[in-house]
Amino acid sequence: MSAETSAASPAVALPRHRPDWLLPLLVLGPAAAGIIIAIIVTPTFLTSSNILAVVRNASTIGIVAVAMTPMTLSGNFVSLGIAQTAMASMVSFVALLGSGWNQALAIIVVLIGTIAVGGFQGAVVGAGFNPVITTMAAGAIIFGVVSEITRGQIVNVNEHGASWGGGDIGGVPIVVIVFVVFTAIVTLVMSRTVIGRQTILVGANRATAETSGISFARVTVVAFVIFSIGIAIVGILEGAAFGEANAMSFANLTISVIAALLVGGTAISGGQGSPLRSAAGALLISVISNMMVLNDFTPGGRLAVQGAVVAAAVVILDMFRRRGLRR
Amino acid sequence: MKVSYFDRVRPYALPIVALAITWIVISLITPTFRGEASVYSVLEGFSLVGLVALGLAFTLIAGEFDLSVGSMTALAAIITVLTSEAGLAGCILIATACGVVFGALQGFVIGWLGISSLVFTIGTLIMLRGLTYIFSGHAPIIIENFEITDPMLLRFSIFSVSSIIALVVFVAAALFLAYTRWGREIYALGGARNEAIAAGVPRVRTITISFAISAGCASLAGALAATRGGSAAPQNYDDLLLRGAAACLLGGISLYGGRGTVLNVAFGVAILSVVVSGLAARGTSASLVQLVTGALLLTVIATEYLAGRLTLRKSGGSRRPGRTRRMAGAGG
Repeated sequence: MSAETSAASPAVALPRHRPDWLLPLLVLGPAAAGIIIAIIVTPTFLTSSNILAVVRNASTIGIVAVAMTPMTLSGNFVSLGIAQTAMASMVSFVALLGSGWNQALAIIVVLIGTIAVGGFQGAVVGAGFNPVITTMAAGAIIFGVVSEITRGQIVNVNEHGASWGGGDIGGVPIVVIVFVVFTAIVTLVMSRTVIGRQTILVGANRATAETSGISFARVTVVAFVIFSIGIAIVGILEGAAFGEANAMSFANLTISVIAALLVGGTAISGGQGSPLRSAAGALLISVISNMMVLNDFTPGGRLAVQGAVVAAAVVILDMFRRRGLRR
Repeated sequence: MKVSYFDRVRPYALPIVALAITWIVISLITPTFRGEASVYSVLEGFSLVGLVALGLAFTLIAGEFDLSVGSMTALAAIITVLTSEAGLAGCILIATACGVVFGALQGFVIGWLGISSLVFTIGTLIMLRGLTYIFSGHAPIIIENFEITDPMLLRFSIFSVSSIIALVVFVAAALFLAYTRWGREIYALGGARNEAIAAGVPRVRTITISFAISAGCASLAGALAATRGGSAAPQNYDDLLLRGAAACLLGGISLYGGRGTVLNVAFGVAILSVVVSGLAARGTSASLVQLVTGALLLTVIATEYLAGRLTLRKSGGSRRPGRTRRMAGAGG
């Protein structure tokens, strides 16, 4: 925070003198160019099975990244308990199916349970607690509870087979359809509803928002509920695809989702960004990691590059925002 | 202005009471957690979680947040094992120096660009973890010449070599924060950033120093752990950030910057260490320990929040706490 910009704290809304689409274009443009070059040097990328794998992976990350965008937009940073919450949804869904529950009933119960856990965290954060610490602590508690209950064992659906999570409708994987529909819904909610606009205003300038009568607590709870719905969807889809789960499922999800959100260009301080950008970020992150797999990068190498991409994207986006403010 | 003895002790009252209660409760319910052995294991906590929490406290006091400490510790442990040819002191120093240099670089970028440290360190958290896997060749590695780590196994009643080193670092850090100009500047920047900058506190230098110390402490913790165990694994220390942050907040370091001392960190580490080693003495699983740590962390932020509310109400302030305060690491 430099002296000249901090006077306008906590955060300044959209820069005035240039169009809103310029910023994402400046990031996604070079990224797209890089991907095209990478595709040319990596011929195996364009095989249909590989593209399907990339899109599937992007959809899983994307659903959560899109779901988390309202949270970040409202100025509540990111959740550090993503992987644990998704794992808990997946494990409980699989366990419910395994004990002979009806699928629809299991879906509803898992959805309600995940929303309750997330909504509670939202209420805590809405009361004024630090979101990073709250979600990190909640993640640790969720992981501890699930590990204790499952005793570190793998939970599976037994004879009550369920494999529709990995299926497709007319050649398009279900997870991709869900991703597209979910992104469209969240985008509409953020741009066309009162609560959506309130969320962005709270993130852009909390003091102004509260003075004009917008409840920070309410906005925060709604953002956490949207986040929980996304998490539950991913947990259920993965559970229905694999039929088994344990406490270590989704180990890398937190990192990928935060990376997608940040690379997509949603400002961490709130008020700037959109679910659509997070979806694009998820696609970008998946393409990059797939490209590295095809080019025989080790898992460590992939992590290192992913981290460097996040750090670089954050720095570049921040510099552009700052320049926009100085003008 | 003379500060009375009571005012000086007051910030530590809550942690002291918490430490006393946890110690009594844990030792009552755990017969194996009593006497010299229990003090020894609590002090051992200072050499891993303690050092990480100490480093984290420097960034928290400066009003920033270093999320990369867990990965830094893992990387330093790998570097220590890889450079073990340099001897015991040599490899610990090399690993710590690498950490300090990386931390200074990271702090310089954050301070110079004025970027949110919370976001930037998420990037480096991922990157450092990747480097850890690359350097270790994706598998646990051991110190081949195991004789050089022998001194680490010495024990002097309640102290080990690593807990002595950790305590020395704690004392040095306390003196640095309390009595040096650079130390006071860290408080100034975290307490009231705009005012501090207006008064001439150099932002870039101060943030660089706090991140260098943060990564340095995390690296030293990793180096000590690697030499104690004679090995290092790339997937280690995933939950160290949680434990370090829990220790800081348990002891009374403020999340909003500018508040807390090294003594606060020490009390926090002691409380967490009593709980964790007490549970370990009962044979509790690692995941349950993580559960308890998370629950402690939530209790602590709830207490801090409610205490802040009560003080404001008493002083007649209508402003609600946590509403307009800038959270650590939020940046521009």
